[in-house]
Amino acid sequence: MASPPEHVDVNRALWTESNAKFTDADAEVQWAREEIVWGAFEWPESELRILGDVSGLDVVELGCGTAYFSAWLARRGARPVGVDVTPAQLETARRLQERHELQFPLIEASAEDVPLPDASFDLALSEFGAVLWCEPDLWIGEATRLLRPGGRLVFMRGSTIMNLCGDEEHANDRLTRDWSFLLDRMDFRDEGGGIEFHPPTGVMLGVLRRAGFELLELHELLAPADAETHPHYDFVTADWGRRWPSVEIWVARKQP
Amino acid sequence: MTHPNIESWTRANAEHTDARAEEAWAREEPDWGVWRVPESELHALPDVTGKDVVELGCGTAYFGAWLKKLGAARVVGVDPTPAQLATARRCNEKFGLGLEFVEAFGEDVPLPDASFDLVFSEYGASIWADPYKWIPEAARLLRPGGELVFLRNSTLVILCSPDDENAAASETLERPQFGMHEFQWPNSGIEYHLGHGDWIRLLRANGFEILDLIEIQAPADTATHEYYGYVTADWGRKWPAEEIWRARLST
Repeated sequence: MASPPEHVDVNRALWTESNAKFTDADAEVQWAREEIVWGAFEWPESELRILGDVSGLDVVELGCGTAYFSAWLARRGARPVGVDVTPAQLETARRLQERHELQFPLIEASAEDVPLPDASFDLALSEFGAVLWCEPDLWIGEATRLLRPGGRLVFMRGSTIMNLCGDEEHANDRLTRDWSFLLDRMDFRDEGGGIEFHPPTGVMLGVLRRAGFELLELHELLAPADAETHPHYDFVTADWGRRWPSVEIWVARKQP
Repeated sequence: MTHPNIESWTRANAEHTDARAEEAWAREEPDWGVWRVPESELHALPDVTGKDVVELGCGTAYFGAWLKKLGAARVVGVDPTPAQLATARRCNEKFGLGLEFVEAFGEDVPLPDASFDLVFSEYGASIWADPYKWIPEAARLLRPGGELVFLRNSTLVILCSPDDENAAASETLERPQFGMHEFQWPNSGIEYHLGHGDWIRLLRANGFEILDLIEIQAPADTATHEYYGYVTADWGRKWPAEEIWRARLST
């Protein structure tokens, strides 16, 4: 069998470290939340209305991390399966499953190669998970394979403009990176990061279309008036996020 | 009072587009935008053979002429500026391509429902008409399954454009994206620019399936356009200043 691509190992190492520094402790807060919120500025699902009624849906979360989002969906009657490539994060997720008495399957795998059967889910979800850390054609190809016809793919990622304006500290109002930087994998190892993927809007639309998805929605999110800069995910300030979209949510449907 | 866009395009026609129209009509292969990227590289057009086409904001109608040469059955050019249509009619006689012309804004087109297979706009209604009005018009004019193809400025280049419209786009975000819609540049007409999320919402709300979005980078050997100086070739090589959308009306 071929060994996994370099970015898988690099990103697993990054998230093992990030889990020790931040996400393990943060998972306690996230799992205890009643409300579904999206992203670093905590947009409430009750306002965005992206997901609708998830009760009875089979959901696969690709790049689930500590699986708090799957936990929120499970409480609303969904049947989630969390997939992540980092054992440390899944260990945190299992601890919280026991604490909250909320069991659902957690599978250690890259979202580029998921050991689950074809056409077995109604919703594939990635909140800053596979969408950021996996090769776009590969993980979206897996998403379409895993979904039933008519099933939805929902993912949240940083915006293209935020990536173009990104800097070592946080995004500013200068175009610090050329377009070509986004067309290949983005290697942030020199800055203590991992290997990320951010195809711009047109390219991502092409990936979705080739995989058999119809694009339904693209939400470019305005940071709430009372949002504050996130202490850990500080790639963008709240003030920047009130002028330009820092994150976006895509909704697509697998052709029926 | 003359509409500022008619005033602006009457002036532009006298300064530039009238003199360039014949050369453009004479070209065989379509090319796109200020960098003139050939269609053979972008593949942005559907097969137009035998199709009925309406071009919204046709100007001197050189693109309509190219579509006719590619085999379109009927091409109707719609534009609100009489001076541009006069140039278009002169070229149409000279080249004998049999285009039809209608003097109207893209927001309110006096043509019947469901009478076209392709609605097209290259720097026409796509930036000079209010999308919340011209996209519903496009949907009304199309037959079920018909396509909409338009070229506009990228949202990014508009965000980077200084208020002085004679200055080229900078490498700084000059204005917020949230709230962008109508732009009145000093000494110019009224333009309309939306972000990608708003475009997708608007197209979907009018029954379109989004087929393609081509974000165009300027080719390596391109020079800054001698008349449309809003962006330098150097900027356009680093970031897309233009983009083409392709959408299909649901059947």
